Amino acid sequence: MKFLLARQAAVLAAVALLPAAGEAIYFRNNISWRSAIAPSEMVTLEQARAWGDAAIWVDARPDDEFARDHVPGALSLNEDRWNELLPQFLAVWSPGKKMVVYCSSLSCNASREVARRLRKEAQLSDVFVLEGGWEAWLKKNK
Amino acid sequence: MNQAPNAHSPTLNVESSADATTSNVKHRTSNILWRILDFVIGGIFIYAGALKGLDPVQFASDIDNYKILPWPISVALAFYLPWLEIFCALGLVFRFLYRGALSILTTLIVVFTLATIAAKVRGLDITCGCFGHASQHWSFASHLATNLTILAALFALGFSNRLRKPS
Amino acid sequence: MKTPIFAFTLSMIMCLGARAELKWEQTTVELHPAPNDKQAIGHFKYQNTGKTPVHFKSVHASCGCTTAQTQKEEVPPGDKGEITATFNIGDRTGTQIKTVTVETDEATNQKTVLTLKAEIPQQLEVTPNFVFWKQGDKPDSKTINIKVGKDFTVKHIKVTSSTPDFQAKVEDAGSGQFKIDVKPQDTNKVVASMLTIQPEDSQKVFYATARITNVPTAPVAPAGQKPPVAPAAPTAPARPTAPTGQTH
Repeated sequence: MKFLLARQAAVLAAVALLPAAGEAIYFRNNISWRSAIAPSEMVTLEQARAWGDAAIWVDARPDDEFARDHVPGALSLNEDRWNELLPQFLAVWSPGKKMVVYCSSLSCNASREVARRLRKEAQLSDVFVLEGGWEAWLKKNK
Repeated sequence: MNQAPNAHSPTLNVESSADATTSNVKHRTSNILWRILDFVIGGIFIYAGALKGLDPVQFASDIDNYKILPWPISVALAFYLPWLEIFCALGLVFRFLYRGALSILTTLIVVFTLATIAAKVRGLDITCGCFGHASQHWSFASHLATNLTILAALFALGFSNRLRKPS
Repeated sequence: MKTPIFAFTLSMIMCLGARAELKWEQTTVELHPAPNDKQAIGHFKYQNTGKTPVHFKSVHASCGCTTAQTQKEEVPPGDKGEITATFNIGDRTGTQIKTVTVETDEATNQKTVLTLKAEIPQQLEVTPNFVFWKQGDKPDSKTINIKVGKDFTVKHIKVTSSTPDFQAKVEDAGSGQFKIDVKPQDTNKVVASMLTIQPEDSQKVFYATARITNVPTAPVAPAGQKPPVAPAAPTAPARPTAPTGQTH
């Protein structure tokens, strides 16, 4: 009888694999198997630099960190002073620009929040989060 | 002393057939009750599986919040577990592969419960994810109570299945 | 057969519970700051129920907007204390979840994550808060939707444009919603305007931006460009407004 139970369980386990695989294929663009952020939202440093002038760099870190150092030409847009900084940012934006939002290191949520608000509130498309954040930039430039 | 043995037998027969009827009724009633429990528990797992299966991206994130498994495994489980739950629940409801289904569901509940307890002890605040993001406002106590109730029901079904006639 | 499993589970529960020395009254605090509050403060109380003193090795918050203070570095056995987490709200909105990670020198359970969950009330939700036309586009009107927050009542709103290049008309859509129709005079010049949205009887103002932008000259879509985020649609409705990745 133990054998029967094991066999039944094995059949169920195997059958469930089929729709699971189907769903994995259906949702393949929504989820990255490498990291916990949607692939269509992230961009690597190389890709971002390849965009050249088409990219607008957005620094999501607090004011003091921005003042100390930032990507040359980047605009400061953080949630502490969102209402004041957003209109300034929007004045510089133009259609076709790709926004690269960064903050310190991948685990920081500020860049994701700023990216999310840009997409949701200003309804801008082409908003990306820089993979590796400020640290990735530093490594390549200092 | 020499009683009429034939006179006795009819009475005996009547008694034993009455007993058989009563136990038949009891058997059928308890069978119906167990089937109702099958439907209830099966229904719960189908509901829970469907909720999770509709948003596997969020479910992967919920599994990841327990900080027990690496991310790629969380993603794989997020796609797989809801379907496993649904198929096993269907097995419960329609009585196919019954024992296998019961044991898988029991294992799942035990694992979910241990993970919830472990997270609580480590001080993580998580939404359990068992019922999708719908259960995010439940307290730890209600999560635990729900899981243990389902576990008890599964054990009961397992026991009753031994006593019931194999179908 | 099944009882040993139950017994094992039960003993694991007992085991896990008994060894932590620092007992927290709660590791999640939910706050509901008032609309004009600049900070939300959570108090996480603890007690050392063990026999040895507990030292805080580090206490740090998940983001720069939250600071955490311990009253003391060492907690003698039996002593109580609290960690105060101060969350500077800034211009954040919706459900905000911030965590403070506490590391101690306890034998087990060295890391505890304290969670501060704050519901930031928002009087008006302006979507989108940016409307634009490209130079040469038809000067059709675009709509900005205003939704009144559920704990608020706003009967009228006033909208003014900072330049006469844009006209804004308010329409009451009922059930706590308004529509603002924004129309440029023409789309010949590159201009920008700040739209000030003020609820009646309120000091607080909200803003939206209206612009005429220049037409991009460089080619916009190189080969291999990913299409705009259509696949994200199935997941969007299922999520609350502001989940943050690590903890819920």
